[in-house]
Amino acid sequence: MNVLKVPARTIAVFVLPCLLLYTCMVFVPILVSVYCGLLDWNGIAEAKFVGLANFERIFTADSVFWPSVKRTMMFAVFSMLEIPFCLLLAILLNRYVRKANTLVTMYFLPVILSVVIIGQLWKTIYNPASMGGMLNGILMAIGLESWTRSWLTEPQIAMYALYFVSLWQYFGYHLLIQFTGVQNIPNELYEAAKIDGAEGFKADRYITLPLIVPIFKISIVLAFIGSLQSFDLIWVMTGGGPAHATDTVSTYMYNMSFLSMKYGYGSALASILVVICLSFTIVINFVFKRIENKVS
Amino acid sequence: MSRTKMKAFAIVVVSALALTLAACNNGQSASPGNSGEPSRGTETKDVTITFQNINPDPSTPSYKMIKQIVGQYEQDHPHVKIELDSLNTDQQKLKLKTQAAAKEVPDITIVNPAAQMKPFVDAGLLAPLNDVADKEGLKDTFQNGLLNYYSFDDKLYAFPDGNNIEVVFYNKELFKQAGIQKLPTTFDELITTVKTLKAKGITPIAIGEKDSWTGSLLFMNILLRTNEGPNFLNDVLDGKKTFNDPAFVEAVDAFQELVQAGAFPDGATSIDYNAGGNIFKTGKAAMYIMGTWETGSIDASSVAGKVGAFQFPTVNGKGDVNEYVIAPGSAFAVSANSEHLQETKDFLHYFIKEMPKIQFDLKNAIGSGQKMKGDLKEAGYSELAISLNELFKNVKGGDLAFDNTMNPAIAQAHLSSIQNLFVQKEDSAQVAKEHQNTFEANK
Repeated sequence: MNVLKVPARTIAVFVLPCLLLYTCMVFVPILVSVYCGLLDWNGIAEAKFVGLANFERIFTADSVFWPSVKRTMMFAVFSMLEIPFCLLLAILLNRYVRKANTLVTMYFLPVILSVVIIGQLWKTIYNPASMGGMLNGILMAIGLESWTRSWLTEPQIAMYALYFVSLWQYFGYHLLIQFTGVQNIPNELYEAAKIDGAEGFKADRYITLPLIVPIFKISIVLAFIGSLQSFDLIWVMTGGGPAHATDTVSTYMYNMSFLSMKYGYGSALASILVVICLSFTIVINFVFKRIENKVS
Repeated sequence: MSRTKMKAFAIVVVSALALTLAACNNGQSASPGNSGEPSRGTETKDVTITFQNINPDPSTPSYKMIKQIVGQYEQDHPHVKIELDSLNTDQQKLKLKTQAAAKEVPDITIVNPAAQMKPFVDAGLLAPLNDVADKEGLKDTFQNGLLNYYSFDDKLYAFPDGNNIEVVFYNKELFKQAGIQKLPTTFDELITTVKTLKAKGITPIAIGEKDSWTGSLLFMNILLRTNEGPNFLNDVLDGKKTFNDPAFVEAVDAFQELVQAGAFPDGATSIDYNAGGNIFKTGKAAMYIMGTWETGSIDASSVAGKVGAFQFPTVNGKGDVNEYVIAPGSAFAVSANSEHLQETKDFLHYFIKEMPKIQFDLKNAIGSGQKMKGDLKEAGYSELAISLNELFKNVKGGDLAFDNTMNPAIAQAHLSSIQNLFVQKEDSAQVAKEHQNTFEANK
């Protein structure tokens, strides 16, 4: 800041409006919903203060909450697992494919589609064969009739079907980020390495990987936090059903707040979700700091 | 922290606080002042009345009905403008809840009967409409007892648009194709019919169970029979019965039997209400157990003329087929905080008065909540509509849907529990027990 040599007042003039807006739009609502989490309130009538009763019930007596946390976590983990593949593909594209941009753009297409469209599209793909479901249709056509099933309504499978759609949708997004990262590494480095006898995998190990770590981190954080909040896709495709089998924390929160009209309970769930997101962001940042120190 | 930094920080905190406080202030001062009735002298002043409704689809008769009446009224009352806010049912429910939380209910809105509208009444958001009902005998145009579903403490809060019963629509052609001669009158016969249809590769009963109320509505038919009459849920509410009652357990068992017999389409829980209805309306399923409000749209679909309807059968020899799961419509309510309360009431009075006539002309009168005048046959109604109208004459009473009787938290737990029966077999006693536990926790 001293480098800028401007008085703090001047900085404040530029920063304050945004900061204020941010405070009002983000922090105040968070505080309000934490407070609402302490109420027994249907969202309309008089609210009753019940202290930590909602939280207590969520942690001890709610049979839907913990499974939904588990599904949310799985969602996050799955969404991270695809990023190494994206990186690998990005490296290969950059090295071996001329005009790779076109390919990357094609992979990116699902990202710009609305989630509702994606959801409807995959719903039709997953449908039972009797309703024209493409996936089951293909399985039957190639003689794997025993593999056909009702993908979105069997409690044990439905969640994985949803993970897959999300992976498919965001593959292009992460690929683009990784691809840009890889492209931005100056070619001279590789040429220099070549002179020193490092090529292919070796060059990747000592040049690409260290330089891509910050980009990799961005991808991971985005994927992780994004999927902790996963709501729209699930809501469109299964609505959290059948019977809570595909509920994540956020769909369950919606269900409680607006369908069951237990606004206080829903707010308590929301507060817990904020804490989960926050703690994982901190953990990821911590882990990456160590990795960065190690590889560079 | 240096001095200037401290100062800057202090400014940030203070202004943030000021802003939020200002926001709170605004919210509070807005509501109470405006609720007084406008004086008679302001009658010629231009007013805009917001009319939230659940008929967004221009092809439906209900949409045409609202458009027509509003058009007429605006013509006769040039100083009144009616602004339509047309949403589909789910959106409207959500929007109203959000508006209610901010105490900004539109002048006219849509509510559902009994337990679903109770929170709004308790919060004092709806205006009592007894004066409107008494004016020109409007009350007497409604079927007996119907307005009770919308009254609390002798105060009427809304006027319903219909009064429907739940029946079994069936596709005569598909029944013939499967060689079924006789319509099922007992639950065992229904199961046999289902199996026969299934064996012929025909989906027996269409349903869209992603919207979980559909399965619950069907389930309530069974419960109405196994309980040998209505009021099971009310008895639970009054503490006279529990969900562990044999009638409830028996109903769960019967329902599971239906599921296990393969009555419903594959992946039923991923099909929403509209898509579920379309399975029947495109002739792909043989039966559709739904409210009579579907009559108009069945008559407008490709299976028109091939559809008949019968009463939900008795279960294990119990129940009376003239008792029905009843859906006393959705209803028009007025915001207690409306800025133009008197004008809104005047308009609503006109609207309700005109509704039966216009509905009749639009061939949308089956399941009307108001008494109908006129000959259906002469007016060109379908055979299905006429036969349903006959059924209405012998209605002995019945039950409301689960979510119209129990509070939303219990209702949601019930809905997801019934949805679960579509995907896996459960111990019926356990299902009953879970219902009871949820009920006690959310009483």
